[in-house]
Amino acid sequence: MTETSRNLASAATGGPIIAVDGLTKRYGDLVAVDGVSFTVRPGEVFGMLGPNGAGKTTTVEILEGMRRADSGSAFVGGIDVHRDPQKVKSIIGVQLQSTAFFDYLSVAETIKLYGELYGEKVDVDAILEEVELTDRRKAYFNHLSGGQKQRMSIAVALVNKPQVLFLDEPTTALDPQARRHMWELIQRIQSTGTTIMLTTHYMEEAEELCDRVAIMDRGKIVQLDSPDRLIEQLISTGFTATREVKLATLEDVFINLTGRSLREG
Amino acid sequence: MRLYFVLTIASLKMYFRNRQAIFWALFFPMLIMLIFGLLNFDQFSPPDVGFIDNAKNEASTRFRDVIDDGDDPLLDLKIEDDEEFLRDELRSGDVDAILIIPEGFGEPDNVSTVRAIFDSRKPQEQGITETVTRDVLDSLFLDIANVPDEFRVESRFEIAPAFIEGEGEGFRGFLVPGIAAMAIMQAGIFGVVFSLIRFKTGGVLRRLQATPIGPSHFLVGQMTTRLIVTLLQTYVLLVVGMLALRVTIGDSSIINWIDISIMALFGGALFTVLGLAISGWAKTEDVAAPVANIVTLPMMFLSGIFFPIEVFPDWLGNISQFFPLTYLADGFREITVDGASIVTLGPELLGLGIWTAIAFAVATRVFRWE
Repeated sequence: MTETSRNLASAATGGPIIAVDGLTKRYGDLVAVDGVSFTVRPGEVFGMLGPNGAGKTTTVEILEGMRRADSGSAFVGGIDVHRDPQKVKSIIGVQLQSTAFFDYLSVAETIKLYGELYGEKVDVDAILEEVELTDRRKAYFNHLSGGQKQRMSIAVALVNKPQVLFLDEPTTALDPQARRHMWELIQRIQSTGTTIMLTTHYMEEAEELCDRVAIMDRGKIVQLDSPDRLIEQLISTGFTATREVKLATLEDVFINLTGRSLREG
Repeated sequence: MRLYFVLTIASLKMYFRNRQAIFWALFFPMLIMLIFGLLNFDQFSPPDVGFIDNAKNEASTRFRDVIDDGDDPLLDLKIEDDEEFLRDELRSGDVDAILIIPEGFGEPDNVSTVRAIFDSRKPQEQGITETVTRDVLDSLFLDIANVPDEFRVESRFEIAPAFIEGEGEGFRGFLVPGIAAMAIMQAGIFGVVFSLIRFKTGGVLRRLQATPIGPSHFLVGQMTTRLIVTLLQTYVLLVVGMLALRVTIGDSSIINWIDISIMALFGGALFTVLGLAISGWAKTEDVAAPVANIVTLPMMFLSGIFFPIEVFPDWLGNISQFFPLTYLADGFREITVDGASIVTLGPELLGLGIWTAIAFAVATRVFRWE
């Protein structure tokens, strides 16, 4: 969320890095994405919030060139996703919701191999250090812990130095320590000028990481603004929380008691 | 091109680090081959005996009829006139022994000397042939002479044995190329089905789909790996067959090995594509496992791997001769046993080719990345 890096990236490219207009996707009778429009600015962390089945993942997968929309347009980095999905894929990094890599290839070998798929010679050591997997470089994917698997998945998403990084529920099923680690990693990646679009259903995650969030429900975006502005808007309608706001949360208690260091291996 | 190379190397690495895959592809068929090869299943069917009838009288016809008793013959007689031809057959292992009935066989006041020629390397077949011949001659004599036991003259018939050393490999020569073919089928179908379904359900293929090149290059790398494994299996199993079971591979010339390699690649391609078709159609391992077994098990038993198709009833043999595995096993056998050249194996290659085309059509129709 560093203001300077965002402005730098923004100044370099000008307009929005993601532009979506009237995007619609149906599965039979179900309208999974219903005329969604939004833009993402270069260098920001853009969050997609919403309950399960709201259409977050479908929207993101259309932007990733993995699914075709029925109607509407989507541009990523100025490239039409419908017309040239392969070209979009080459400038983005993708972390899928549930994913796996090859058995019997080590972490380092897998990262190198994925680099080859993009025609990139990857500095495996640098990427491993970035995602804190240096000491697991020889491990097979299946032997990694949940948090390590997620970081591996992000490492692979970084091999082509992407302009936009898509993260689909990057901290689901992680313990509080691993989640905080993931947040720090995401913030470090943003500080290098990479635009990040993430989906989550953890509100504190969105508050911590996102410059702006879109709240989706039943295939439509119902609100889009910065987390602070959305909260202010709600309060201005006369809303009061049912519970008194405390100065710390139960999670703070948990972290305070168990420490911030990762428990894995 | 570079990408293809990189993906193939990665694929090979993954394959050879998977000890289970290596066990099923190499050591398990090797074990089966050694067990069945050393047990020598030749003894379970009656010996094949070449039969020359120089008498062509009532007695010799009776002799033949008693031995060749319809459904359950004591010996499998192969009736011929040419002794030299039968000697060649004996030498190459196509018959196990020769019996020659003299002129004037069974006529009164004539000691009939039945000549017998055996393969010195087949004492078991020699024993059976001798015992059967003696028993039948005895009962025949009683029958013809119609004399009571106490008047029997033992010397009315004699058996004059002679030996030549055969070069035939019998059941072992039949078994080794068959097992190599079976191993290619098993590794092709099961190897592809289980790894692909894991890649599919785990999301490996989907993750590849998010890259600009997509998963198809990866599949080509996998196919190449499978073909390399196919060749390796063929070489290892045939060499073990040569060393442990004293089986020869044609004339052991480099041409024979090249022909074998071509045949193996045809088979490997077919069964890999068949594996692709099954894993494309089946969504989970629970569905794929029985389907893979339904495809492979009948072929294992009906394609002439452990026993020749000729032992089946005609209707079954007529069906199983068109099985993919039958073409591959027959093709291998033509080369290893008869030293046939690949250019004469058009029917086998065509059969494998047609099956590959069918499997490919199914695979492209049913395959899904997720």
